Amino acid sequence: MASIHLQNIVKRYGGFVGVQNMSLEIADEEFLVLLGPSGCGKTTTMRMIAGLEVPTDGKIMIGGEVMNDVDARDRDVAMVFQGYALYPNMSIYENIRFPLRMRGVPASEHDARIRQAAEMVELGAYLDRKPAALSGGQRQRAALARAVVRQPQVFLMDEPLSNLDAKLRQSMRVQIKHMQRQLKVTTVYVTHDQIEAMTLADRIVIMNKGAIQQVGTPDEIYSDPANTFVAGFIGSPPMNLIEGTAQGGRFNAPGVSAPCPSNVQGKVTLGIRPEDCRIGGDNVQGLVYGVEPTGDTTYLTVLAGTKKIEVKAARDYRSDIDVSIGITFDPARLYFFGQDGERIRGVA
Amino acid sequence: MASARKSRGESLLLRYLVLGTWALVCLLPILWFLSIGFRPRTEVITPQPIFWPTFSLDAWHLLMSDWPIAMYLRNSVIAVAGSVVIDLILAIPAAYALARYDFKGREDIGFYILSTRMMAPAIVAVPIFFLFKTLGLLDSVWALMLIYAAINLSLVTWIIRSYMLDIPKELEDAARTDGASDLRILWEIIIPACLPGIITAAVIAAIFAINEFLFTLLIASTANAYTMSVALANFTGGSDGIIYNAIALVSFIAFVPILILVILIQKHLSRGLTMGAVKG
Ligand SMILES: Nc1ncnc2c1ncn2[C@@H]1O[C@H](COP(=O)(O)OP(=O)(O)O)[C@@H](O)[C@H]1O
Ligand SMILES: [Mg+2]
Repeated sequence: MASIHLQNIVKRYGGFVGVQNMSLEIADEEFLVLLGPSGCGKTTTMRMIAGLEVPTDGKIMIGGEVMNDVDARDRDVAMVFQGYALYPNMSIYENIRFPLRMRGVPASEHDARIRQAAEMVELGAYLDRKPAALSGGQRQRAALARAVVRQPQVFLMDEPLSNLDAKLRQSMRVQIKHMQRQLKVTTVYVTHDQIEAMTLADRIVIMNKGAIQQVGTPDEIYSDPANTFVAGFIGSPPMNLIEGTAQGGRFNAPGVSAPCPSNVQGKVTLGIRPEDCRIGGDNVQGLVYGVEPTGDTTYLTVLAGTKKIEVKAARDYRSDIDVSIGITFDPARLYFFGQDGERIRGVA
Repeated sequence: MASARKSRGESLLLRYLVLGTWALVCLLPILWFLSIGFRPRTEVITPQPIFWPTFSLDAWHLLMSDWPIAMYLRNSVIAVAGSVVIDLILAIPAAYALARYDFKGREDIGFYILSTRMMAPAIVAVPIFFLFKTLGLLDSVWALMLIYAAINLSLVTWIIRSYMLDIPKELEDAARTDGASDLRILWEIIIPACLPGIITAAVIAAIFAINEFLFTLLIASTANAYTMSVALANFTGGSDGIIYNAIALVSFIAFVPILILVILIQKHLSRGLTMGAVKG
């Protein structure tokens, strides 16, 4: 068990900056999720923690010890790869056993530990098979068992569920979270799927273009986004971001008018989540663009000027298109962002 | 539906007919050889057509009593098998380094290694002869073993390298985080994962070595070091003229091991040859 400290980590590939000046403290036993679009440097960060990639600059500490010059094989870190990376020529049993053999765990302990790890991921019946004879979900669980069996200080998981179908993903998600709570191992989990991040994380780190955008609990990230990137990335559908002008405590955009704090002035962006909009009223005057019933809710798209605004409506809400409609914003749930995209915090 | 099935059946029949004819055309010389090898000497050289050949083991007995075929075969096996072992021992680590380690001039070294294969062997024939003479290695199977290994090393390295490039990098990363050293990774992960490539390269090298003629002729001067390929070329049948049925039989014996090797790897052969050559 160990905490992880990243201190001003930089990773450059030639002139290209993969990760820029990243500092992060990960507490012991914490489940931390790195979330961001593809190519934002999540895998690179994780590989630097694992020791598979050397940072260009900065310091990596695990359990209080500087790890920069420690080889991957000597860090007590287990990694689950996106492609599973099971050894194709070995049975599942031998796959799970490999880290025990490599780390000199006494042979007498192997069998019990392998079976225990396999039981934990419900793979006990498949130990004799080769990876090729397993389904995607089973391979995923075999890769998990191989990471678990070592009882490492840190788990690293790089998009472990991205190759699975939606249903399996949900059940594996719960299984991973349960396992992490049970074993109490510090875990860094990489994903580009915000649902995975929200459901799994103690804290989420949102990254974009190699830089941290915001660090916080899922609640903080959702209800207190630091900038337009975070606001637009989290939530499905994500927050509406409407560009307009603020003057004298009033925000205006084509078809949109809402109150704003007096310190919000000039060209700004208003953010409002679909579930904080109600049908009726006059914050938005527009036309119904489309209605999407999903079963438990209905999403309504309203065209205000040229801007499409998403509204979460009652499950039985139905409407024809091109009907004029008014929308009210919950005044306590309005967010304003400056021209640089950063949040303008109200003096209210 | 019925007509579709019928035309499918017909096209299948046609296909087998065409392929069968072609196979017969290709195999006929081999069957002809066999038939010559197992007929009496006189019958083979009569100008009249013969419709009912006579079976005879004359040539076989002649070979067994008069010709040190066991010696030649033994030389071939030692030189070829030894050269393949040397090639694999040297080529596997070299291929791994060329496929995975990032070092200065890697591509150039890779190309240089392959380019040694592009030279006409005759160019180095004379220097090689003197080299082996000075080393006192003339007329020895060990010298042949070294020569065969040297000739094939570049190709073997290149083929194995191209298979190694196909192994996902993640596999090695996983092994490294699991605590494996580089040698362990090579031995337990890489070699098993590219075993088909290693086997293919070994068989291709063996076939080239079995057929090697120029250097064998140069280095080997007596039955001490003659291999099947040179012995076959020198063979006329004996002191009393050219004995065709014996020649045919010897040729067939020399052909059998290659046939077996090709059948063993035919699935991989074209991939091994094209990949090794084309993929940079
Ligand atoms: N070995 C490398 N050489 C050059 N660029 C790389 C290398 N590895 C990653 N990158 C670049 O760094 C960026 C971040 O990559 P990565 O960490 O894999 O992103 P993510 O996992 O968030 O999708 C990408 O733009 C990628 O192209
Ligand atoms: Mg990635």
